[in-house]
Amino acid sequence: MSYQRQVSRTLDDEHRVNLELLGRIEQAFARAPRSGTTGHAELIQLAGALARHIEQDVGRHFDFEEQELFPRMSDAGDGDMASLLIEEHGAIRAVASEVLPLAQAAAGGTLDGAGWTSLRRGALEMVERQVAHIQKETMALLPLLEDLLDDDADRELSFAYAAA
Amino acid sequence: MTGAAREPVPEKAKAASFAPLDAGDASEAPRPAKAVQDPRGRKVKTTPGAFLGGAVGRLLPASIPFRYFGAAAVFHVAAWVALFAGADGAPRYRGGLGWTLASLHLVTLGVLTMTAIGASLQLLPVATRQAVRTRHAPTLVFWLYAPGVAAAAVGMGLPSVPLLATGALLIAVALAIYAVLLARNLFGARGMPAVIAHVWVAWIALAIVLVAALSLAFAYAGGTALPRAVALALHVPFAAYGFMGMLALGLSYILVPMFALSQPPDERTALVSCALACSAFAAVAAAAFGIAVVPLRVAAIGAGGVAVALHLRLMLASLAKGMRRDLGPSFRLVRLGWAMLAASLAAALGVALDVPFGGMATLFGLLLIAGWLLTFLLGILQRIVPFLASMHASRGKHRPPTPSSLAAGSALSVHAVCHVSALAVLAAAIVLDNAWLARIGTLIGLVGSVAFLAFFVQVVRRMLGAGAEGRTRAASV
Repeated sequence: MSYQRQVSRTLDDEHRVNLELLGRIEQAFARAPRSGTTGHAELIQLAGALARHIEQDVGRHFDFEEQELFPRMSDAGDGDMASLLIEEHGAIRAVASEVLPLAQAAAGGTLDGAGWTSLRRGALEMVERQVAHIQKETMALLPLLEDLLDDDADRELSFAYAAA
Repeated sequence: MTGAAREPVPEKAKAASFAPLDAGDASEAPRPAKAVQDPRGRKVKTTPGAFLGGAVGRLLPASIPFRYFGAAAVFHVAAWVALFAGADGAPRYRGGLGWTLASLHLVTLGVLTMTAIGASLQLLPVATRQAVRTRHAPTLVFWLYAPGVAAAAVGMGLPSVPLLATGALLIAVALAIYAVLLARNLFGARGMPAVIAHVWVAWIALAIVLVAALSLAFAYAGGTALPRAVALALHVPFAAYGFMGMLALGLSYILVPMFALSQPPDERTALVSCALACSAFAAVAAAAFGIAVVPLRVAAIGAGGVAVALHLRLMLASLAKGMRRDLGPSFRLVRLGWAMLAASLAAALGVALDVPFGGMATLFGLLLIAGWLLTFLLGILQRIVPFLASMHASRGKHRPPTPSSLAAGSALSVHAVCHVSALAVLAAAIVLDNAWLARIGTLIGLVGSVAFLAFFVQVVRRMLGAGAEGRTRAASV
């Protein structure tokens, strides 16, 4: 999708980067055995990337959408979809809070076998929830922003997001 | 924050209930589609690809699409049982009452059309950005249609002409009501012109199929509307390629980009594909009345082939350029279905040119109905059932179930292996004219269909379980 608004483009770019990472995580963890993955170099590297994704991207991205975009979506008449997206944020945050310490431990080489099993399960759940969420935002939120934001609002929100 | 008046916030649905997500009382007038306004209150245009906007408020109660999908899963099992009963003559089947005909119609009416009705009733209001106008009519259609299919199939199998005629009448009334619902939706449609064009063509094909099918059914009771040869020549292509085919192609323009997270396919190419398909149907219709039969049928296959090639090019581009590349086992069935669509046209050419092979017409039927339509539809269905179930199970829950957790288990793997194996064995049975191979293939297919039914039951049970859990939590707060 080619967007005219800077906000839509920025969010779409982040979605693409996230999907690329999530795809790699999904493939690597789906291929990995359910147990005994301790010390696998690719998984350790991906666990580190997942931890950074949760720490640096998830909260910032979600907070911006919840504070600035979903209220506009509700005002535009799609409060149901905005509510659903907020609920999905809550579910993703819940999974992320479980996965983050496991991913950090995996990246630091201190995760035991049971922890890897939990990390595998949590990472795959996080991938599925985020992909489905991005799917909905791509089909509902981003196209709506194209219509809702004027030049001033677009510029103002872009600066606010960049500064966050 | 804005000067625009806020719309009243609708009361939330009960957590994960089996009720509509917009929580409207069924007795209330349906809510109109919400006007999209910017923060200053101006009307704004809607953007292509934004069709999920407002989608939550346009979800039907889960019980409506799921009753259609569930019935399709049950008729799927029944179709394999009926084919086993008629396996002796199946490799050289050329028509006539009996269990092979019953099996064919359990697939076309019981699985394909049943799913198409359920899916289109849910998808089209979302795609065309319209409110769901009625929740009673889809229920009425189901209660006319499902018994009608069962009666017609048993009437064909036994055979019992009164039962067949009764079933045909019920089906005709149900499909006529469905056609009205479809037309009302299409008349108010906004956006997605290629999808709408395909569905209109499917609608016209449905009208032709109804006339031809009633004519064929009542011919057994001594009634005459159209000569049998004409009715048959209209019935097969307009039912399979016309109604089901155009609906499948049209809805693919929504579903495939949605799952692959890709741009909507090029509208102009999709419309050209639709126009070529229309010209093919016109040629087929003329040939059915005895006009230049072979040249027109060959021309129709040529035009249909180009239409299919354009469609598949758009679909493959959508998958290749999508942000989500690996769509899992369900899309392996979808891709197989697309290959079978192309193969069915090659077989249709063999039938049109009367190639010297006794099983050509049967092979064409296998490739068209089981190879393309059934394979494609089961691939799509195993994707949309958990997706829709998770949407219905999700509201108000802290951490709702994911589609994969609803669908977890080995049933779909068993189904996929059995379905593909059954197709291969049945194709071999036709080529070798071997009834034993037909029986073996049928049994394999039956195991697969039971696995698919188990998958469906499991998803619904987990969805309802999630709903009960959500209600318990809500009550305890």
